[in-house]
Amino acid sequence: MLLLASIAARAQTPAPHASPTATPSPPPTLLYLNAKRVDFYYDRFLLEADGDVQLRSSDGYTVTGDAFSMDLKLNRFLIAGHVTLHDASGTVSGAAISDFLDFQRIYFVPVTTEPDRWTFLNGDLAHPAKGRVMPGDVFEFPSLPQQPSITGTGAIVGTKTYVRFMNSHTYLGSVPIPLGSEAVNFSANQYFAQNTLSGATVDLTWNVAGNNNSLSAVHFRYDPTYHLYLAFEQHLIGQHEYAIFSVNPATGDRKWWNLNLYEKLGSRFQISTFTQYYTQQDFLQEPRAAQQTTFLSATYAFPHSYVQATSQLTNYNVLGPGSLEHNSIGGSLSHPSQLQVTATSFQNKIGTLPLFEQIYEGYGFNHDSVGANQYLNGFPGYWPQGGVAFAPIPTPGLQAYGAKCTVQPSKFFTYYCPVYTTIWNTVLGFNLFTPALKLNNPPSPYETYYFNASFTKQYQWNSLPHWISTSSENFSISRQFSRSVNTFVGYQILNVGDHYINSGYLPCTPVNSFYCPLSFTSFRGVSTMRTTSFGLNLVPTPEFNFSLLVRHHVDFPIPVPGVFGLPPNNILGQPLYSWFLGQPPYDMTANVRFKIFPHALVDVSKTLYWYGNPYRTQFWQPATVVQVLPI
Amino acid sequence: MIRRLLRSSAILLALVLIAASSSVVVSGQLLAYQDGFVFFTTGDGFRVAQDVVIRDAKTGAGTTIKPVPRIWARATFDANGTVTELDLSRTPLPPQGSFADVQRFAVAISTPAPNPDLLAYAPTPAPGATPLPTQQFSGRPVLVTFIVQVPPITPFTSGVYITTDQSGWNAQAIPMDRIDALHYQITRRYPSGTVFHYLYDRGSFQAKEVAQNGLDRAPRNFIVPDADVRVIRDTVYAWNDQVNGGVNQVQPQIMPTPYNPAPFPNLPPSLPPPQPPPGKPPF
Repeated sequence: MLLLASIAARAQTPAPHASPTATPSPPPTLLYLNAKRVDFYYDRFLLEADGDVQLRSSDGYTVTGDAFSMDLKLNRFLIAGHVTLHDASGTVSGAAISDFLDFQRIYFVPVTTEPDRWTFLNGDLAHPAKGRVMPGDVFEFPSLPQQPSITGTGAIVGTKTYVRFMNSHTYLGSVPIPLGSEAVNFSANQYFAQNTLSGATVDLTWNVAGNNNSLSAVHFRYDPTYHLYLAFEQHLIGQHEYAIFSVNPATGDRKWWNLNLYEKLGSRFQISTFTQYYTQQDFLQEPRAAQQTTFLSATYAFPHSYVQATSQLTNYNVLGPGSLEHNSIGGSLSHPSQLQVTATSFQNKIGTLPLFEQIYEGYGFNHDSVGANQYLNGFPGYWPQGGVAFAPIPTPGLQAYGAKCTVQPSKFFTYYCPVYTTIWNTVLGFNLFTPALKLNNPPSPYETYYFNASFTKQYQWNSLPHWISTSSENFSISRQFSRSVNTFVGYQILNVGDHYINSGYLPCTPVNSFYCPLSFTSFRGVSTMRTTSFGLNLVPTPEFNFSLLVRHHVDFPIPVPGVFGLPPNNILGQPLYSWFLGQPPYDMTANVRFKIFPHALVDVSKTLYWYGNPYRTQFWQPATVVQVLPI
Repeated sequence: MIRRLLRSSAILLALVLIAASSSVVVSGQLLAYQDGFVFFTTGDGFRVAQDVVIRDAKTGAGTTIKPVPRIWARATFDANGTVTELDLSRTPLPPQGSFADVQRFAVAISTPAPNPDLLAYAPTPAPGATPLPTQQFSGRPVLVTFIVQVPPITPFTSGVYITTDQSGWNAQAIPMDRIDALHYQITRRYPSGTVFHYLYDRGSFQAKEVAQNGLDRAPRNFIVPDADVRVIRDTVYAWNDQVNGGVNQVQPQIMPTPYNPAPFPNLPPSLPPPQPPPGKPPF
């Protein structure tokens, strides 16, 4: 049988049979399910139950039977075997009942004196349409995988959003792991995935509770900094807003408390905040140290542009002066703040040219009355005379360019000057780019070459005699040789100028050597990086992917092995910066992805760096990045 | 002699045909077994003989398997349409017979009535009228290629991913490959009819795409059609964590960075930081 306007297409295993016409989306239904055994199959979103099935629906009826089957994505369920249907109008016995919730159709096989076929329309259980032909797949059971993902004795289903299991356990291999309560969210609302946790090497999530608008999760985590620890996260979700709270780690004496708020007001304005509160405390006792940072972002959209204000407010010592005695935390009084308001245009096509432009302009300031990061630079807390007199604060950073004063008033501390407590800035920039342009017009698309180019430029003028300019030019020529092979050759030039009108970067000072490396003596804060890239992607099937990226950098200042440190890596072992001074002149990254399970890929990547003449040094990226990705 | 042999063969063949036509066998999955009827997943209920024989479908011997929902069964019908034998199995049985052939034996009180929900009963549109939209999905595997154009300020080494509701909005669910200065691509195989919502990101929800007007955007919606291949071309206008003109990037779980006068990460220790203008007093 054929479908009529059925948009409730099936995820992963579509139904080839008939379904009735979709009506405007009905309100969510709550289903309370109990049975001797309730199984959940994660990869197909199937909920199956057998033995003494009892179902109570928020639509106003209860059903009992022998077996239950529900496709959570199709949003329909079936109960079969010794069925009783009970509602306000009475009780009817039957062989099977199937509720297509999206279509407000209930198909029932009653057994009075003999079997029959009834269809309940739009929730009216008192007036069945008798004898109506039913869709062909209405009473079909799905074929099931060998082992369920979760097994329990009860479940609450919030249609199209979540299912929460009671007395449940999951499986590690074939070994059951007790969970008690476990919620599985399958909502199309992306805000359920917003999170406030930092990255971790391993994260096992236990969703202990959840419903249409909330999700509570305990995370078992590991990362190289905090090692094994627990974290907790609470999500409160709406259609146009969310609030997410977490404490991570929740165990240990160093805790990060996070709060992320978002609200979209009307169709043109949104505001979001992210607050992070760091404490050193045992359990929930009074903290020994606490600091707080809040990011604020507000955006207002115009028909062809938007204005965005971002702000960052930090308090390095929430506990106040004199309250800190911890060895690693000084009595910082720093409260740096920053505000930036930027107007950005849409991407606009320039006339009939294959060129697009985007411009932006911003104003803002950075303010810090005493200086930030002081204790992070290795100065211990010091409170002379029991805190009556504060120690002078040695402060590199915002106020002093990071330069030492020529006259040092103390022999114990290093002072930096001059001091600027507020720096105003004006930012102006634009992006210019061309999308893929055909360079030839052969009969086969696999012989076509494409050209891409982009140019970005940004100036930032500060209220002190200092300005920064950055520009980037990107060119590439690409070709797809076959459906499975494509390559590109790219060239990029990146210029960063850190200009000081008076003085600025001084010539290199040798450290532990008698000479400075090449080109440092002429470096005055302006760098140029030229990168030639070759990329190859080989994708014979969607289940296997190989990619290779080979790059050659010609940079100023010239990199020298051992002079520059390696860039820090993120939690996955990938470089944190996309560019940095001292990158080795050559690098090659290979990446392989392949399918290991029906719904999981493994991704392995590794980078080799090497220097050309005269150093001839080479090294591998310290870690091989391995990720398991659900598909 | 030959004529006698032919006559005997004809009689034997007739007997076989009569025997064969007197019982019909179909196999399928049980929906219910109750009140003197057996129901298959077609929804049809058939009368069961009082002395119905229940056997194991594989061994032909008696069985402990109960005729309950989900059990596979081979039903033998007599000439009256009554089920006289049920052979049960916990695993699917080879297809045998057709339920269309036993449809006439199905018991139902009401006379079948047309169902306007179903296409077979949809009225023919009037001349000039727009027919009702129809959409059919066979579930065949379809190669879907996603090609996305990213903003020019996207870092060259940045990974770009697709996050979908099919993978619980995992921000790194579908990694893409850079194919030139501005584009990334990935090919995936989906059954036709698969519905999913998706967004592009750079590895986390803090770095997901936003709309051209800077606001959070609704997920893109896609239904895999019945086709051999399908190419989807999208444009990302901006990333959530890359604000044009931003001085300090907003990233969670890092210490706040005060304004840094030296925009070079990884400055070597032998290179002194910028110096103040000469002649300024220390305070």
